[in-house]
Amino acid sequence: MLFPTFDFLLFFVAVAAAMTALDGRFLAKKIVLVIASYFFYAQWDWRFCFLLAFSTAVSYGAGRAIAAAPGARRRRAVLTAAVTVHLLLLGAFKYFDFFVLSTNQFAHLLGLQHELPFLEVILPVGISFFTFHGISYVTDVYRGDVEVCRQPVDMALYMSFFPQLVAGPIVRAAYFLPQLQRESREPIPVAAALVLILGGLFKKVVLANYLATGLVDPVFAAPTGYSGPDLLLGVYGYAVQIYCDFSAYTDIAIAVAALLGFRFPRNFNQPYRAQRLREFWQRWHISLSSWLRDYLYKPLGGNRHGRAKTYRNLMITMLLGGIWHGAGWKFVMWGALHGGGLAAERIVEPWIGRRPRTSAGKALSTILVFHFVCLAWVFFRAEDFDIAWVYLGGLGSGWQNGLQQVGPFAVMLIALGLATQFTPPDWLERASAIIGRLPYWGMGAMAGIVVALINALGPEGVAPFIYFRF
Amino acid sequence: MVAIDRSLVGSELAAAGATNADAIPAAARRAGASPGQVLALTVIGTLVLGLFASRDLPSWTERLEDVPFAPTIRVAAAQWDAAMERIGFTRPHEAIREEIRALLDRGWGAAE
Repeated sequence: MLFPTFDFLLFFVAVAAAMTALDGRFLAKKIVLVIASYFFYAQWDWRFCFLLAFSTAVSYGAGRAIAAAPGARRRRAVLTAAVTVHLLLLGAFKYFDFFVLSTNQFAHLLGLQHELPFLEVILPVGISFFTFHGISYVTDVYRGDVEVCRQPVDMALYMSFFPQLVAGPIVRAAYFLPQLQRESREPIPVAAALVLILGGLFKKVVLANYLATGLVDPVFAAPTGYSGPDLLLGVYGYAVQIYCDFSAYTDIAIAVAALLGFRFPRNFNQPYRAQRLREFWQRWHISLSSWLRDYLYKPLGGNRHGRAKTYRNLMITMLLGGIWHGAGWKFVMWGALHGGGLAAERIVEPWIGRRPRTSAGKALSTILVFHFVCLAWVFFRAEDFDIAWVYLGGLGSGWQNGLQQVGPFAVMLIALGLATQFTPPDWLERASAIIGRLPYWGMGAMAGIVVALINALGPEGVAPFIYFRF
Repeated sequence: MVAIDRSLVGSELAAAGATNADAIPAAARRAGASPGQVLALTVIGTLVLGLFASRDLPSWTERLEDVPFAPTIRVAAAQWDAAMERIGFTRPHEAIREEIRALLDRGWGAAE
């Protein structure tokens, strides 16, 4: 069930009706939200609901066991066991066949004929997200950063809450569980939620979908048929597409949660305006990068043990961050590029400074960081390494003829997508203030008309969000 | 299990403050509604959408496979769309789609 569909709209109307009927009965609301979330998840494959329930039970049980454990050694053993179970789940469903494929390829190189069998399991949608929820919860309980959750329904809702279940943002237990202790009586920020939903729908249905079908998919499918300028616009197009696609999902998730009375953290902050690669990671998929920082980079030692170990820790963190996105060497390469880029930036920082000072320096830095990110996107998007190298090789050819096949419509979409990076920081507040002047029925009518307009502007049919496969 | 330490600062990854920053800042929370108003707003939006996006209802109902009363829903969707066409509410949708199609056919599209 995708957000920009009639199915989801009707589902949300039913949930909103239940929330209204149960106003003031918070426990009943939470139970209904858990049932709704499992119904939402079952639309992909009902069997995966058992996996989600198991992951929830492991997290809940481990949290209680850590809280009840008499000594540090016992607490640590429970934490280790719980994290191992979560990682085994993720490994079995997401990485086992990749491991088998890589092992078989290596065996072939050595001249061995025997092949390990593949499991060929379907990747459960959202497993990377709810596994990270589980790991962060038990780790935070162990660290004392969050109170142990004693209500099974709270744990179930934290792990399964449908707005963030399949593609994030990764919401920390310390952020979300306190919201489940008592019902929020603050007014629902309906104007801001509508702005996020309408903006998200435009980014996904119009910008991301047209760029995907009209530019990125064909260019990445056969890069040899395009000139260098076409290929360059193809990767710009992908940079805009993946931003519009993923940020649209999280914008709508944030808004849907808000309409149900819950807060989510910010996940994107105009990432392509970053002037340093470090800054890019403070603006892109913030919930993942902060997760990696707190549960991987810092435990590895962070920047405490000298330069060499800092670079090593950055590289390990980004390599694992890369492979979190998918089981494939191209994602490892993507992570390696970012890890290497972050380390290189640290090395030259004494000379270039932490931030550029002049306007020209800022503009140049933004352009450089954007192009480095685009270079990494080539590996992220290409089907495999061979295509990626062909793509990069093709970027140098055919410049004398200019753009051959990319039309002005695609250029306009790219420009529009990049323009979203440079809107005023308080655009949400401004837009909310304008819409907030309408009565609530007027907001509903306006939203209906704008959604109908976006629906008519976009191509027919809705492609799944890119991050569903992660 | 690697050592767990929270005492670090200056990470390359997301700044600590950003982790817990609400996606909807306080200044954007001024216009508030109750759950009942949210429901009313959603129902009104759905109805308005049903008026102006009825062209896509029949194809949506075709994708409903395991839903009870799917044939009845399909007939109702077709009838609703026909009624909207008679009133003229489908014209904006068709005009926009037509313009976009013409735009793409004139070579505004991208890679073939």
